[in-house]
Amino acid sequence: MNAGQKSARRIAASNGPITRDTVCVSCLHRLTQPSRRPASTAAALADPPSTPTQQPGHPNPPVSTAKSPRKAYQLLASPVLSRPPLLTRDLTSFEKAYYLYQKRLNERLALPFTRYFYYKKGTPGDVEWKRKIKVRKTPARDIGIYAAYGDEGWNDEVLVGDPTAERESVVEALVRDAEGKAIIDEEVVGDAEKEGLGAAGDAKTGEGQRRDLTKVEVERPVDRVTEADKANDLRSLSRKMDRTLYLLVKNREGRWRFPQDRVYGRENLHQAVERILVQGFGIDMNTWIVGNHPIGHHQMKYTSGGAPAPRLAKISPNRLVSTSRDRVEYEQEEYGEKVFFMKGRMMTGQADIAKNEYGDSEFRWLVKEEVEQAVTGGYWKSVKDMLAER
Amino acid sequence: MALLQEVTSTFLRRFKAPPASLHRKWASHCRHASTGAVAQETDELEQSSFLQGEGPAQQAIERFDPAGVAKRRNRRLPPSRYQFRSPRYYRGPLHPHQPPRPSEPSSREFAPGPFSLPRLEQTYHDTLASDYMVLAYAHLPPGQAAFKKGERLRRWEGDSPYFKNRPLRGPRGGDTLRLLRKPVTFRNVPQLQRVTVHTMSSDAINSGAALHVSGMVLQAITNVRAEAHEVKKSVAGFGVRAGMYLSLTCELKGEDMYHFLSKLVDVVMPKMKDWPGVKGSSGDFSGNIALGLKAEEVALFPEVEVNYDMYPPKLIPGCHIMIHTTATTDQDARLLLTQIGIPFFGKLVS
Repeated sequence: MNAGQKSARRIAASNGPITRDTVCVSCLHRLTQPSRRPASTAAALADPPSTPTQQPGHPNPPVSTAKSPRKAYQLLASPVLSRPPLLTRDLTSFEKAYYLYQKRLNERLALPFTRYFYYKKGTPGDVEWKRKIKVRKTPARDIGIYAAYGDEGWNDEVLVGDPTAERESVVEALVRDAEGKAIIDEEVVGDAEKEGLGAAGDAKTGEGQRRDLTKVEVERPVDRVTEADKANDLRSLSRKMDRTLYLLVKNREGRWRFPQDRVYGRENLHQAVERILVQGFGIDMNTWIVGNHPIGHHQMKYTSGGAPAPRLAKISPNRLVSTSRDRVEYEQEEYGEKVFFMKGRMMTGQADIAKNEYGDSEFRWLVKEEVEQAVTGGYWKSVKDMLAER
Repeated sequence: MALLQEVTSTFLRRFKAPPASLHRKWASHCRHASTGAVAQETDELEQSSFLQGEGPAQQAIERFDPAGVAKRRNRRLPPSRYQFRSPRYYRGPLHPHQPPRPSEPSSREFAPGPFSLPRLEQTYHDTLASDYMVLAYAHLPPGQAAFKKGERLRRWEGDSPYFKNRPLRGPRGGDTLRLLRKPVTFRNVPQLQRVTVHTMSSDAINSGAALHVSGMVLQAITNVRAEAHEVKKSVAGFGVRAGMYLSLTCELKGEDMYHFLSKLVDVVMPKMKDWPGVKGSSGDFSGNIALGLKAEEVALFPEVEVNYDMYPPKLIPGCHIMIHTTATTDQDARLLLTQIGIPFFGKLVS
């Protein structure tokens, strides 16, 4: 949505004279073109522009005859690049206990498993199933040993400290099932007929006994705690896979911030932020900038001992912004800085600090709590509500 | 205290010596729950006498073995100890036997509750919802008046005096008003509401087995028992009489819905041959999108693929999948589904 002519005029009129210092260049250009306006609206303008009026139909912005540089705030764009969580979060102990109990209740209430619908009679799959179900007593693979329809069906709750609901036990049970082993190793007792090999309590020893002719190699799930977590490598994207990681850089002043840079020429925030990512970290990052408007802002005034201390800035054209080359290097008196943050998502790739053009020395991928520790108080206040809890 | 603060156990610990509270006893018994994790969870709880209690003695905890006690018991307990059925009819609030809440396991209406925290649900709440909010934001610059839409119900304009209190006219082009679109805020982000899977088999006109097979397939892929629907009106052209059971639907909500959509997007859609995506014109103008799967595509679901031979040949049905969202326009629904991973092709019609 564009701010219309009326709004720019209204704002500019209420804040005082429309000068190069109070209104942006494009609004000024639009407002100080008397040839396009009829006489009636020209009279309606509250304050006439104090800059010298330009020639009617002149395309370029008015050239200031004043010697002093333009007064403004430094306009910066900053990408808040985040890698969203790649893993689900760990369940709390209550959730684990609850889900286990509900699964066991489901076993009691659901209709019995129809074995022959899934395994054809006499096939190896059927034999394997029968062997496993004898130990496990339930078709479900992640609720431990529980006989829902038997005499002990009432005993569906586990005792405090039972490991059945824990992730490690569930993974172990599933992997063992995939390998063809029963959920627990049955005790092997001496058996005269079968040369000392047999399972306890099994009348027909040997039938259904799996002989280790072919060992099934089952791929185990990768550990949720990665090597980057153990080494606490703050530059790695594989750290804290269940949390959102944010990209921060140490700027030339030694402060940890989100990467930021000026907005040049006529580029919009989206374009500025894409350029900043390339100029800051190289081309090897596959990113997506979400939307066209900022998600937050931070403002800082330059003061020394309470009084405003404006800084003179020389703005030279940026090699990647073609519209910034319209004007050669110009000066601007800056009273502070205004940073607008844009949301970005990281898909693949990694940041390369060697390609940095801003003098940033380091980069880190940090979670929300670590960002709080790294940045200063005022900056954190502006930034904290943009960051996700998980 | 200038600010109100939650009365948690961490807060109270600052003022008094910690008692031998319950959570420490539990933590010491939980071999597999590290003391740190359990203590962290109970720290966030509000302080209550339940947490401050002494708890059972160590000896009692070690001796607790209900299964063992039952095994060692020689005598038979009275029948009331073995049977319990909750009352079938509600006989008023003063009756001694009150039916339990449906959430109680002993209730006749108990349905075992969530078994997991679905990955898609977590992804939505952590990642997709906030991205959606940013994408759907419409900025109104200060000083600019919001765009005023025309009247939804149009007044009669003209000279006639009878126009004054005449009932207002509907929108142009038809009498159906489209849903109002409220701006998307953090409280108003479109979510998945439910999924309806529907199938109709014309084979069921002649054979009852076809409907049973369709029902089994639907039950396998959705984890929900299918409901059969009868034909309302006889149509001789299709060879169909009123009262025939020819179609089935499954309503999926919550955990089942998220698991079904995850399977659809991650397992089935990548395997579909030459599938361009969901049609861009799909949508009922109210934020619900529908797509169809052919029989060979339904067979790609892992639950059907595992025992594909058990189903009679050519009786695995195709189905319609209707995804209902809380969005009120088609564009909003399509944006949400694109975030989830469903591709759209062709001209997007709203």
